[in-house]
Amino acid sequence: MVVNLLFGLPGDRPGGLVLTILYAVASGGGALALGLAYASIGVNWTRASLGLQAVSAFLRGIPVLLLVFLTAHLSGLTTGRAGLVALSLYSFAHVGEILRSFLAAYPADLADQARVMGILPIWEWLLMRIPWTLRHAWAAVSTHWISLLKDTGALVVLGVGELTTVAKALAETPANYNQWGVIFVLAAALYLVTTFALIKILRLAERRMVK
Amino acid sequence: MTEELWVGTIGTIVLWAISGALAIASALILAAGSLSTNKTVHLLARAGVNGTRSVPTSVLVLMAGMGMMRVSSAPQLPNIYPGTSASFQHVAWSIVLALAFGSAGHLAEIFIAARSTLGQFRLEQMTVLGLSPMSRAALVVRECAAVALPPTGARLVHHLHNTAFAALFPVTDLFGFVQGLATATFRVFEFIALGCMIYVALSGLIWLVTRSLEAAYAPPAANRARRRAYVWS
Repeated sequence: MVVNLLFGLPGDRPGGLVLTILYAVASGGGALALGLAYASIGVNWTRASLGLQAVSAFLRGIPVLLLVFLTAHLSGLTTGRAGLVALSLYSFAHVGEILRSFLAAYPADLADQARVMGILPIWEWLLMRIPWTLRHAWAAVSTHWISLLKDTGALVVLGVGELTTVAKALAETPANYNQWGVIFVLAAALYLVTTFALIKILRLAERRMVK
Repeated sequence: MTEELWVGTIGTIVLWAISGALAIASALILAAGSLSTNKTVHLLARAGVNGTRSVPTSVLVLMAGMGMMRVSSAPQLPNIYPGTSASFQHVAWSIVLALAFGSAGHLAEIFIAARSTLGQFRLEQMTVLGLSPMSRAALVVRECAAVALPPTGARLVHHLHNTAFAALFPVTDLFGFVQGLATATFRVFEFIALGCMIYVALSGLIWLVTRSLEAAYAPPAANRARRRAYVWS
């Protein structure tokens, strides 16, 4: 049972906790890249980005479950890919807004210094603004990533074999009829341990960034 | 269809309102326990906060719903969830409890953080006033409401979105309505767009109420500053 929860059901591997982590990392990474682009557009071309901001606000206004369902039915992608796209969009809507607010707060002094030193705008953007924004927004982005790890559970609506889906499938198996409680407690414990590990890793990364 | 939509929307609102109220009540207890000087109470409260914050709502809802579905003799509980048949009202109640438990830890952390903004000096001032514990608690709530309301509103919007997990069981809600009719009629875009609009409208309504309360509970100094700004601008 524990092996299935960790690695997925036989014939449907990788699944379980491993797939949950893969989904969280892939969607979180993709959303971070998209979010940085969104923040850059939002800060430089505020008026032109209003449409993009409206889309982001709309994505934040609907349940992740509905977003997953919408992507799966309207994109024509396989359930696994649709789930990844939906989670990336969901994460982008949150991370993009966090990064936009921090990027907008970039100190004018630093920008002036870069100009005086003759650094090209593109390098100033890549080597100064983006690292500064990431360093300052890290705590807020970390909180979102912890939430994202748990939100992968919404993929249960598509039957994608991540941890929640595997726990549901195991609990619904007639052979496990009396063990449903144990299965869900184990799944909850796995989420708990993974969340704590993620918190520790993110704090470690934050400390390294401050150094 | 209009009637089903209406029932689904009301079903979501009822699920959200009851579980939200329970979540806030549980969060206040967890927050008070976290601040307790009694080590056992403190540790239990912290375990509750961390437990609810680390386990996804999807797992909590599945655990509660599946557990209740397997109960052979269902307990008699008030029949208040519209659209949900009488034989599944107990499942709806268990989902409400799971939803409340899923948000309680997050709300408790918000309340603790809001209280900490008052500072030790103001908290000691309240103690010196000689008020009863209940009156003091009411004063603390009143004082830190302006700080606590924005994140509480954001969490309650997230809580509204979490009610969609009720659709995993025969409990009527808006997402269940959208999912059911989109699959049955193949008019997927139409029903999803309708569902999105209602969820966005409900989220906006929560945000508006929170902002109004925030304005009403803003500290007098902030209100004075705002009035002055209006006069001179």
